[in-house]
Amino acid sequence: MTDMPDSQELKSLAMAAIDAKSADLIGIAEHILNNPEPGFREEKTARFVESKFEEMKISYQSGIAITGIKAVLDTGRPGPTVAVMGELDSLKVLGHPHADPETSAAHACGHHCQIAMMLGTAIGLQASGVMDQLSGRIVLIAVPAEEYIEVEYRDDLRRAGKIEFLGGKPEFIRLGALDDVDMAMMTHTSANANEGKIAFGGTNNGIVAKRIQFLGKASHAGGAPHAGVNALNAAMIALSGIHAQRETYRDQDTVRIHPIITQGGVAVSSVPADVRMETYVRGKSVEAFLAASVKVDRALRAGAMAVGGSVNITTLPGYLPIHSDETMLGLYEQNAAQLVGQENLVRLTHRTGSTDMGDVSQIMPVIHPYVVAAEGNGHGDDYIVTNYELGVITGAKGMAMTVIDLLSDDARLANKVKEEYDAPMTKDQYLSLMRSMFHEGSYIE
Amino acid sequence: MPTIQDLKAMAQAAIDDRADWLLEISKTVLANPEPGFHEYKTASYVGSKLDELGIAHQDGIALTGIKGYLRGGQPGPTVAVIGELDSLRVLGHPHADAETGAAHACGHHCQIGMMLGVAVGLMAAGVQEELAGSVALMALPAEEFIDVGFRYGLHKEGKLGFMSGKQEFIRLGIFDDVDMAMMVHTSSSAEDGKFALGGTSNGHVTKLVNFIGTAAHAGASPHMGVNALQAATVALNALNTQRETLQNENIVRMHGIMTHGGVAVNSVPADVRYEGRVRGRTSEAIADGSMKMDRCMRAGALIMGGKVSIVTLPGYMPMINNPTMTGIFRENAEHLVPANEIITHPDDLNRGGSTDMGDLSQIIPVIHPYTGAAVGAGHSTDYIVEDYVQAVINPAKAMAMAVIDLLAGGSAKAMEVLDGYSPVMTKDQYVNFQNSRLVEELYDGEK
Repeated sequence: MTDMPDSQELKSLAMAAIDAKSADLIGIAEHILNNPEPGFREEKTARFVESKFEEMKISYQSGIAITGIKAVLDTGRPGPTVAVMGELDSLKVLGHPHADPETSAAHACGHHCQIAMMLGTAIGLQASGVMDQLSGRIVLIAVPAEEYIEVEYRDDLRRAGKIEFLGGKPEFIRLGALDDVDMAMMTHTSANANEGKIAFGGTNNGIVAKRIQFLGKASHAGGAPHAGVNALNAAMIALSGIHAQRETYRDQDTVRIHPIITQGGVAVSSVPADVRMETYVRGKSVEAFLAASVKVDRALRAGAMAVGGSVNITTLPGYLPIHSDETMLGLYEQNAAQLVGQENLVRLTHRTGSTDMGDVSQIMPVIHPYVVAAEGNGHGDDYIVTNYELGVITGAKGMAMTVIDLLSDDARLANKVKEEYDAPMTKDQYLSLMRSMFHEGSYIE
Repeated sequence: MPTIQDLKAMAQAAIDDRADWLLEISKTVLANPEPGFHEYKTASYVGSKLDELGIAHQDGIALTGIKGYLRGGQPGPTVAVIGELDSLRVLGHPHADAETGAAHACGHHCQIGMMLGVAVGLMAAGVQEELAGSVALMALPAEEFIDVGFRYGLHKEGKLGFMSGKQEFIRLGIFDDVDMAMMVHTSSSAEDGKFALGGTSNGHVTKLVNFIGTAAHAGASPHMGVNALQAATVALNALNTQRETLQNENIVRMHGIMTHGGVAVNSVPADVRYEGRVRGRTSEAIADGSMKMDRCMRAGALIMGGKVSIVTLPGYMPMINNPTMTGIFRENAEHLVPANEIITHPDDLNRGGSTDMGDLSQIIPVIHPYTGAAVGAGHSTDYIVEDYVQAVINPAKAMAMAVIDLLAGGSAKAMEVLDGYSPVMTKDQYVNFQNSRLVEELYDGEK
């Protein structure tokens, strides 16, 4: 037993293995970048990831939550299960240089790097001699639909019974695909120059989403506008109302409400009678975004009321605020410092975006660090990953090293994380909370 | 026995004799503008002028209104000649009262001169006794439907039933003994020539809207407040989107003013008030516009989580000019100005504005011609009467001559007017209809 490697030696082995496959891993990221698919539509991307698992001889289960994949690296020894996640889906951003010209799908949030990081983590852990020193299991998850977009499409999937929740991780939770997972990690790219090279910790906003349909009455817009009821005007009034409410939100609640109109009429010569919107209502706490959701509904109802039309509002549970596990963060920080230097680490405070990793964080310890490998505006047409070494290779190493910390030494630290974790809620409580946010209403006043 | 032409010549000569007196009266009223139901000084001044003429008068009708009679030599119908006492309020008008903003930016001051001029003409020696019937000389308050909150307060105190002069005169029975009525309004529109006859005007309803929110420190705790000003602005945006649903032929006008928009910039406005008006060609069009205004106001309150109180007040009714009286007036006007400068508008030409002479036109025959004597835009800072002969003397003569036509010769013409007239509604129907349009609502979207 004297030649048993210590965890630093295991990390070196893992890093060397990742470095050896560096070009392949970056190639994977670039392949996905060039084949963007939005959430619950990541069929090609999923096939591609599956082919990589096959190359790596890792058994996997596919088709979870439509396109999700779950693979297992089992040490054969008892111990906790650590999930390493990568997100399959792209955004949609018109005019992004890597956008699919047909669908506008574009990796304007760097998820393509996550898949490569997740596979890179696996490569590191598969390095000769590493798994032998670990206990427990590593679950590799390619998860669909982190970007909560195409609400109408997804709500139709929901109505068709294909999903219940509109994000990949909530679906994984609901389906029990995380029942055997004790803690989870993933690494996201960032373009924020104030976040050093690696940023971690902090919190995120939670969300409810709304699918909105204003119904009016079509009529010749020139010949008989008086006989119509203009649903687009209803939407405009509702938007004015939403803006008028903004001063009522407390700064510390970081409320964000940002609708889009997905259908604004069908012919300019006909009074719009069916106008559709989607919006998020975000906030730092569940209470904050639910209170804001009530106000938004008032504005939507008022828009319909003012023109004498009606409005259908479907409120959909979105994502919950994230809480990172401090012990896991501490381990990650040490590894990140080793990779990029302590001076290049930034501890985050509150970010006003949202992620369904927040949902996972309600029921198990998680971390969701960022590698600052991109430039431009997140979700903008100029968000480009420019540093693939950091965006894929360093990201993979940081997670592989943290898994080694957790699962080496008979998974002592993973057990500690698991024991010390005080879950905000159980899975059942989580599902109840999410289901309580569903609301469908039709208003004519 | 003098002919009708003789009588008219005598009346015109009498008016010319007192032209300076009449113009001075108009200019004195111009210089002392008082808005509706505030015309105490103006009324007292008009009363003193009637006294000078030796005409007995009843005062304080509908607070400031005046009514006197000239009795003809024989019994017969009563023709009312009306002048309006009230001014508008137009900030910055050259003749505005610096303190109140009151200003005669609609020329009512000339109407008082005209009405007294008609009296002067008919009192000319030998004229009055040739008339079969009476002339009711009336100075009426509050034709401009403004200061709505103030007037609604008077209504609540029981001092007023309706909130304009002619409406209230009708309700009080002051027109019960009047068979037909006339008045002449000044105009600054080139399309009206020297005299304009015929046409119609919009009816309306008026609203007192009160958005009720919750005050809070606007910097420290805006989340604790309910912003009534935001409710109002959203409501007005919503109102603007309704415009495409209004039919051109209904000539609907929806407009208003914000009379109270908050009390301190660092406090979330909790009490915001709006006076709104919905005008239209028909009662149906007004009711449609009124419904649309109401739902927008409710929507504004709902958005902010506040309340809104909406009081809809009965406004004016569309104007119907009596064709026989119009013909009589035109013939007489042709003696005063060239015929090609007298415009008879088609009956359906709607001026867009409103007058409570429209209310009166629903129950008795009336005319409401215009005299082209002013420049500038009506109700604006530049509305100035320039041609006082055309503004006061000529209309006084035209009306005096029209009264002679109606009542001389045994009042045959007046009888012809009455025989050819069928009222749209009786006085009682009118009063009931207007009462039915007074609606008070408190909307609380959250309840």
